[in-house]
Amino acid sequence: MDFDFLQPTDLDEVCKLLNEYKGKVKIISGGTDFMIDLHKDELSPEIEYIIDVSNLRDLNYIKEDDNKIIIGAGTTHNEIANNPIVNKWAPVLAKATNSIGSPQIRNRGTLAGNIVTASPAADSVPALLVLNGKVKIKTSSTTKEIPLEDFFIKPYQSKINQDELIVEISFKKPPMECKSGFKKLTRRKAVDKARLNIAVLALQNNIDEIEILRIAPGSITPTPERFEKTENILLNKRPTKELIKKAAEQVSSTMIEKSGYRWSTEYKKPVIKTMTRRILTRVLEVE
Amino acid sequence: METLSLEFKVNGQEHKLSVTPNKRLLDVLREDLNLIGVKEGCSVGECGACTVIMDGKIINSCMVLAGQAQNSEILTVEGLEKEEGKLHPLQQAFLDAGAVQCGFCTPGMLMSSYNLLQSNPDPDEEEIKDAIAGNFCRCTGYKQIIDAIKLAAERMNRQS
Amino acid sequence: MKADVINKSSNRVDGYEKVTGKAKFGADINFGNQLYAKTVYSEYPRAKIKKIKLNKAKKLDGVVEIITAEDVPGTNEMFGRFPVLAAEEVKYVGDGIAVVAAESQEIAKKAVKLIVVEYEEIEPILDMKKAVKDTKELVHSDKEDNIIEHSHHLMRKGDIEKGFKGADVILERTYYTPFVDQAYIEPEVVISIPDPYRKGIEIHGSIQNPYSVQENIAKVMDHKISEVKVIHSTIGGSFGGKDESVMMMAARTSILAERTKRPVKMVLTREESMTESCKRHPYEMNYKIGAKKDGTIVAIQDEVYTQGGPYNNKAMFANWRGSVHATGPYQVDNVKTDYYGVYTNTIYGGAYRGFSAPQTVFGIESLIDELAEELNMSPKEIRLKNCLKPGDTFATGQKMGKDNIPIPLKEIIKEVCEKADYEKKVKKFKEYNKKHSEIKKGIGISCTLRGAGLGGEGIDTAGATITIDKDGSITLISDLTEMGQGMRTAHAQIAAETLGVSLERLSFINTDTSIIMDGGPTVASRGTLAGGQAVIAAGKKLKDRLKKVAAEKLNCDKEVIIIKNDQVYEYDNVNNMIDFDELIGVCIAEKGISLSAQGWYNPGPEELSEETGQGNAYPTYVYGCAVTEIIVDTKTGEVGVEKIIAGYDIGTPINPQQVKGQLYGGILQGLGYGLMEEFEQKEGYLKTDNFDDYLIPSIKDIPDINVILFDFEDDFGPYGAKSVGELGIELVAPSLVNAFKNATNNRIREIPLNLERASLGKNLSK
Repeated sequence: MDFDFLQPTDLDEVCKLLNEYKGKVKIISGGTDFMIDLHKDELSPEIEYIIDVSNLRDLNYIKEDDNKIIIGAGTTHNEIANNPIVNKWAPVLAKATNSIGSPQIRNRGTLAGNIVTASPAADSVPALLVLNGKVKIKTSSTTKEIPLEDFFIKPYQSKINQDELIVEISFKKPPMECKSGFKKLTRRKAVDKARLNIAVLALQNNIDEIEILRIAPGSITPTPERFEKTENILLNKRPTKELIKKAAEQVSSTMIEKSGYRWSTEYKKPVIKTMTRRILTRVLEVE
Repeated sequence: METLSLEFKVNGQEHKLSVTPNKRLLDVLREDLNLIGVKEGCSVGECGACTVIMDGKIINSCMVLAGQAQNSEILTVEGLEKEEGKLHPLQQAFLDAGAVQCGFCTPGMLMSSYNLLQSNPDPDEEEIKDAIAGNFCRCTGYKQIIDAIKLAAERMNRQS
Repeated sequence: MKADVINKSSNRVDGYEKVTGKAKFGADINFGNQLYAKTVYSEYPRAKIKKIKLNKAKKLDGVVEIITAEDVPGTNEMFGRFPVLAAEEVKYVGDGIAVVAAESQEIAKKAVKLIVVEYEEIEPILDMKKAVKDTKELVHSDKEDNIIEHSHHLMRKGDIEKGFKGADVILERTYYTPFVDQAYIEPEVVISIPDPYRKGIEIHGSIQNPYSVQENIAKVMDHKISEVKVIHSTIGGSFGGKDESVMMMAARTSILAERTKRPVKMVLTREESMTESCKRHPYEMNYKIGAKKDGTIVAIQDEVYTQGGPYNNKAMFANWRGSVHATGPYQVDNVKTDYYGVYTNTIYGGAYRGFSAPQTVFGIESLIDELAEELNMSPKEIRLKNCLKPGDTFATGQKMGKDNIPIPLKEIIKEVCEKADYEKKVKKFKEYNKKHSEIKKGIGISCTLRGAGLGGEGIDTAGATITIDKDGSITLISDLTEMGQGMRTAHAQIAAETLGVSLERLSFINTDTSIIMDGGPTVASRGTLAGGQAVIAAGKKLKDRLKKVAAEKLNCDKEVIIIKNDQVYEYDNVNNMIDFDELIGVCIAEKGISLSAQGWYNPGPEELSEETGQGNAYPTYVYGCAVTEIIVDTKTGEVGVEKIIAGYDIGTPINPQQVKGQLYGGILQGLGYGLMEEFEQKEGYLKTDNFDDYLIPSIKDIPDINVILFDFEDDFGPYGAKSVGELGIELVAPSLVNAFKNATNNRIREIPLNLERASLGKNLSK
């Protein structure tokens, strides 16, 4: 595969190049997906230019203001997992990013990369979904922000256009009292993609009623999404074993509704139910 | 395909090379700089045999395009032996603890271990496992590798 | 006499190069003006080749040569019926059709994509049982059925009918194992160069068995064997795997090297390696066992099918070993065993650490546990009751415990169970499992005996040459290869011990077929067992020469000369001495004595009957017992191996640290085999071709492993050493599934025990 390598020094230049070479250009950042495609010769033959954004400072930051956490698109999984702001406000995201690949992969792979590949099993995505994450997308002339849950079209395909670049992922700071959890099920104890994963974020008031509940299972639907029907079972109620059981069953049936009955369903159906039950029991501290 | 000029520092030495853009950092280290201690095992970022330290972090050099290493500082296994025959304590400990069999994973394994001890001079077993989880070894069953890293840490701490 | 050099955990003699990155593996070897070769592989599991269009590829700038089957100068059928390149029909997706040699790797990669092959698809033969029954559809049309040549091995002992008649309980069970990959971290590499000095070819690479490559390439190239020279590079793990695949690579690159008169290098990608190299044979093991109420086994009958793929890759050897070990380490009076290798249009089976044992031990050790359950006996007691003891007869009729061969199974099982606190743990876990509905704990046992070396498979010869240089430095070369297992360190220790010198004097050169004779392959855990004997033989010859000169110099009898710790002196008169280096000087400069000697070891063949399988299978055996503790999440199917305690009698360890390293490594490969490894195919196409979908254990998967070394005296091997390489892998999978049964009350008869099997009791497939 032959291509020219472009290394713009700022974001505007990246957008300009994306526009100029529209359709013939591909972005590389951490490269942990790109390099596999290169090795397997699976890059589109139309590609003539590669734009490297891995060294762009403009894309590498974790910031907070009064309301929000803002993460530059080029921030690596390890930078996120070890960041004090993230650990304080969004431990669910720290845990999810820390579960990705190996230390080597986490040192290169970026948050935007994990999102833009649009794998149904992406680990950061369920965490960002329960944080109501938003994706900021830039072109040479426009900037827009869309909720992460609207970002995916189908497995391995997102709404990002050829002249667009993800520049930022942000989410509102959840109330400090929020509790959360992330669980990833794998075949091997390290360096493995998720067989199933799930993220949960919840807030209970002083009489234990659930005020906020967000549940996002991964690897069970074509595109990751929040399971709002399931959330509604528990919302505004005090959590009980029975309610949690009902919610867990709901996750299973929603999975089949959305994905149909596939080769893996026989396994995933009971297991995602168990995972949901366990994570809700733990996060909501139901005895 | 326009060649690109790559300037970077490898094992303390400045290099300026002209490389084709589709080369990986792995290829440049092995082919242009003859640093054959960097091994290629899977080419998809799984096995860790090509691990080097780039700007203080371990990375798979098969997962980095050459141009992405522009202005970076790289350390490979060749950089651990400061002078001929003077082994780094980790290298010596790998020998003493029996952590080497076929030796193909060893350079990558050493780089991940080196990086660990740089930031954590006295790691416990779980920290060791986490640090080298991205380096596969098919020969040793890992046990003697863990022993080696503990032994090196102990010796290095005693020295300092 | 106390040993000076052996039985010590010395550092590897090839360690310095490996920790500094200086060791050259195949990919690190380059020759000036070299070309890069790449193979065009079949697109179908079975098809007729109608046309191969090379034009476009030939026109590509930088392409120097392209070969197809037509260009093979000699035979196009190598060992095991492997073609250099498929001529008329492709028989699996790894068959090569054409090979390109180009100025760069990149150009070669582009060129293979420009080669167009027209096929006529044929329905592939994929299912092993169907291939056995259906003799109309044949993988090889010159055969009458799909049973691999010489792969039917049998064992007939006692009277099987009578045996079962006398049984109080009879169980019939079937066990299955999958294709698995050796997964060495170094992919295969071969470089062939036109011999710079004479007619012929020189081959370098990651070659486990240089002599079989030499012999096959000679036939392919229509050369004399002496005109082919093979030198192995530093090998990054092999475990039986770098054999036929590198033979094919060597054939292809040699043809290209001779045609282009340039060195030709072929480096496989991981995907190519997984496609083209052999896998462990999958087994279907149909067992029937009969026993008395008290647990005494009276009869075992088994019919085993082993999947070979399209070529005969050692099924005939592996099946023999399997047939000998099919009834495990137990006294069984009546045995009927039949092993069959089967051709299919799939990836092919072959040698992978254990060579039938990982499959067979999984089968028989599961079966014994099932029998124990049926009889309501403890898994430990049933093993103690039936395990071979001195005076018992093995399945082959071989009398155990004769000629000072120890048979310490009972002692090993007892001690391992004691160290593992087996009975207490069984009770403890039972209590735990009563209290926990989802998370369960279990403990399982397995034990084994393994014939050391080739035994009846072939003659266990080996050769070694030791040369002492003017300065007293010593070079050792063996006809067996170092692949990481530590053989050359063991050999160096043995040589130093034999000669009475320090290990520092020893250095090693890589096996080179042109300078040392073929002593057989480096397989069957015989590197130390047979190779070590050859080293002793060479060392003794040299020592004798040295003593003779020393006796003249010291003016005393040769018989009283002692050479020890680099000193040469008269027994009982230590002051009458000469320094070792000085003695070497005298030998070479004054006396003109040859200080190079070859040692050859030949234990002779084992005598076995082909009709009944009866006879002495192996000269001696190694033994093991393991207790494995697991924790199971019954809801998700996650199985965590918590602890493995394993005891082995491998004789006297030449290097205890390296012996343990071999066992730890084998144990972890066994854990992968039991828990996660499976080479998946669908309709003959591969679904697994790299480490992202072929999972091997990471460091996070290792349990607490405790290895106990027993050393029951056995003087068969060199300095009491026996075999170690393959033993470690055998016990984990069976003890794991036995522990799983103990934890969950579910019996799994097919490995790996992955998430689906552990939670649903069956596998799911895409």
